[in-house]
Amino acid sequence: MSGALLWVLVATGLAVVVVRRRTLAVALVTAQALLLAGAAVVVDESPGAAVALALRGVLLAALFLFLVERTREPRPVRAGVAPLVRAGLAVLVALVLTWLVPVVGLDSRNADRAVLTLVGFGLVVSATRRTTLHQVLGIVLVENALALAALELPGSASLLIEIGVAVDLLLVTLVAAVFHERIFAEFGAGDTAALRSLRD
Amino acid sequence: MTSRELLALLAVAVPAVAAAVVGLVPRRAVGAAAVTGGVAGATVALALTVVALARPDEPFVGKWVVVDAASGLFLAVVALVGLGSVVVSPAYLRSIGSSVVREHRRPRTYYAVLLLFWAALAAVPLAGNLPGAWLAVEATTAASALLVGFTGSPRALEAGWKYLILTSLGLGVALLGIVLLAAGVPGGGLGGLSWEALPSFSSGADTALVAYLLVLAGLAAKIGWAPVHNWLPDAHSEAPPPVSALLSAALLPCVLLVAWRSEQALAPVVGEATAQSALVAFGLLSLAVAIPFLWRALAWKRLLAYSSLEHMGVIAVGVAFATPLALAGVAVHVVGHAIAKAIGFYAAAPLLAHDPRAARHQVTGVARTDSRLGATLGISLGALAGLPPSPLFASEVLIVAGGFQAGRPWEAAVAAVLLALGFLGLAHALVETTVGNAPRRGRRAVARLAPLGVMVAVATGALLVLAGLAPFLPDSDLVTALRRGIG
Repeated sequence: MSGALLWVLVATGLAVVVVRRRTLAVALVTAQALLLAGAAVVVDESPGAAVALALRGVLLAALFLFLVERTREPRPVRAGVAPLVRAGLAVLVALVLTWLVPVVGLDSRNADRAVLTLVGFGLVVSATRRTTLHQVLGIVLVENALALAALELPGSASLLIEIGVAVDLLLVTLVAAVFHERIFAEFGAGDTAALRSLRD
Repeated sequence: MTSRELLALLAVAVPAVAAAVVGLVPRRAVGAAAVTGGVAGATVALALTVVALARPDEPFVGKWVVVDAASGLFLAVVALVGLGSVVVSPAYLRSIGSSVVREHRRPRTYYAVLLLFWAALAAVPLAGNLPGAWLAVEATTAASALLVGFTGSPRALEAGWKYLILTSLGLGVALLGIVLLAAGVPGGGLGGLSWEALPSFSSGADTALVAYLLVLAGLAAKIGWAPVHNWLPDAHSEAPPPVSALLSAALLPCVLLVAWRSEQALAPVVGEATAQSALVAFGLLSLAVAIPFLWRALAWKRLLAYSSLEHMGVIAVGVAFATPLALAGVAVHVVGHAIAKAIGFYAAAPLLAHDPRAARHQVTGVARTDSRLGATLGISLGALAGLPPSPLFASEVLIVAGGFQAGRPWEAAVAAVLLALGFLGLAHALVETTVGNAPRRGRRAVARLAPLGVMVAVATGALLVLAGLAPFLPDSDLVTALRRGIG
């Protein structure tokens, strides 16, 4: 996979960390999934994986946009951490991950770093954003990173496993969508700050 | 296809098909269809357990399916707790006032998702490779999260959301570890990552160690090991009691089995002592974190949840010691914990009917106001505390002795001290819950306790038999097979 494509994937990942609007974040993770699907056809010559990735990306985008439309926030839900601080934190986590993990063993060292960076970005999105939808998008970002890793693995990938991962992600996202709607209905916003009553 | 493969397929397919049937039958037949499917699923799973345990020295190891002593043991736990949960569910469904689905769809949705959860759970110990096990574990997340939030109350939504996000992120980290392993196994690709292929990892011990730790840390979030256990007390306390039983008694140990298999497979690459030390660290930390909560006056289900944290810690330590004594202790602990914990959660619904304050506060003196319910809570808590003749007393002694046998006296000593502290906390809770001061008002007589009474009688007998078997297990073929693993 070309270095430019890896940079684009990392840049879109960082953009997901900083953007405020949910629709923009959805567009960015969907663009990532479609780029990965394209790479699966052109670089990896595995049309099965490409179809699984593209289908997963489009279905998730449709689901997320449907949810955004149905659950318009009455007022913006402020993130607990400012965008620049989030970006700094994301870069820091990515650097720590690439320092901790010696060699992933993918087709190139750049691919190794891109995967670890995107995983770090995903974790930061889920940890620092208060909106329910952004927290799920963090998981999707991590899964996109792992899809990149699966494409860059030396040797033949297992289509069955890749389809399984895509189906599992869809299932988890569907369940998250059910929760998002119920949380919105119960608390009037998809804000996880409202979910703090269970403590010992 | 061999008979074991067929039985393994059926052990997963029968509950899944039962879920589909529940979705299609007329409304009045939903409960009966679920119980029938549950009985069929448990029968197939227990048949496979008998086959696996009858010849523990001849495991079946395929690319996608493995049937060995460990899978037989854990599948039996899934089957028994699954069936128990289906059987007690009608009483639970009668007791709830609201849920995330409309009333006319409530039983159908509940049973269908419960049976799908069971099917995914059954697939975990039978998975023949690490990515397959990961897929099954992730599938349990989707189904069980829905069930955790089933009542739709704000607290249930919070618990379900935390569970979904934290365990999904954890499993994402575990998948990163799996990708690292896939890159270093000859043949490459995720599909080639069978349990047997893992010891041939060739990208270096450092990379293998990082991958192993990522897999372990990711799975820890699902097992509920400290320090990534935050979802556990919330999900266990807010889920419907039959679901809490499945989560605690079956899901946590099954995911722990995946961690155990990973440890056994990667020990030749990362070093046996290093691989085991990581498990000891998670185990002792979980024990240490659980103890302060076992000493506090907690609501019944939250107390059981923190006890799960303690017991997953004990099992981790036993797995790490890996001697015949320790693994005999692990086998007894997995089964004994499942029985005692399931009974404890099944008693939660009648307990709430008896005293609604039990949902948020510690209940005291239950035996003074309802002797049958008090006895049920006492048997469950006594067994979980490790009060002799509980099999968990025998298993904990075996595990600690196994630590000394393994040449890890310090870890064994720390575990013994922590277990003693945990015992004191739960013993205090046992006295308070059963014969402590009972409030004079606000308690109601509980009707229809007979089915639970029968279940408790059978469970008590099973616990006593297990305690009697424990001393003979270290020299058994079962423990030899557990030590050998799949390789």
